[in-house]
Amino acid sequence: MSNAVLEAIRTRRMVRALTDAPVPREQVEQILESARWAPSAGNRRLHRFVAIQDPVTLRLLRMVSPGMFQRPRAVIAICIDGQRARSFGMSPTARGLYVDVGTAAQTMLLAAHSIGLGAGVVTSFSRAAVSVVLNLPTGFSPEMFICLGFPAARQPPAIRPRTPVTWQILSHWERFP
Amino acid sequence: MESTMVLTEDEALELLAFLVTAARTQLDEAAEYGPLRLLTAAGRLADFMTGRASPATQQLLTGPLRALPDAALRSVDPAKYSTELDAVCEAVGEHLVNHFGGGAR
Repeated sequence: MSNAVLEAIRTRRMVRALTDAPVPREQVEQILESARWAPSAGNRRLHRFVAIQDPVTLRLLRMVSPGMFQRPRAVIAICIDGQRARSFGMSPTARGLYVDVGTAAQTMLLAAHSIGLGAGVVTSFSRAAVSVVLNLPTGFSPEMFICLGFPAARQPPAIRPRTPVTWQILSHWERFP
Repeated sequence: MESTMVLTEDEALELLAFLVTAARTQLDEAAEYGPLRLLTAAGRLADFMTGRASPATQQLLTGPLRALPDAALRSVDPAKYSTELDAVCEAVGEHLVNHFGGGAR
């Protein structure tokens, strides 16, 4: 029996080449809605998302993001709200906060894939410069971009792992031998 | 030799921002990203210059500089990546000598 979730997990790819077609706002909202359901430690919701569709802001973000090879038509910036973290007695650099960046990101990547959008993550950007471009409040730290658009027909070659990857290679039962 | 302006202020600013922010991000990133960032900057500069440079430089931009090895190659075949990068560097060197007229040939 086919399983739509497993199939989506298997077929999702980092999409690095996007067309010029604009992403409808409704689709961006669908992805943001999916992130609302992402796992969040203690359901504390210490992250905030900034959705960007303005072409000038997108251009500026790309200028200060050396890792952004694609030209996205929309970006969702995942930010840690450091002040909110402190209100729970947490350091703004606590590991758990970064785990939740990952769970939100993966949820949004799968959501984008499921509605026909291409998506890729970018973490190589200047947090200082991005904070200025997005006018982030004090204590906010941008940690990851989800770059969105419609996949181009031709994609750059995938980055292959140095050795073949299977779940057996990545996993051990009970304890390491 | 009179030199031609090949960048607008906007384009120069874009490159400047890329280089400065890449210096910062590189502090936290894998070392193998270093050459990748430099080649990305070179590629963007070449894109800006194309159409404005002299015919000879144009040939460099649209020829050897289009043959920059793909970043993915570095992880699967580092030796080939080096060889291909050497070939591009050689072409750049040749062009510099021809453009500036230096060196005995």
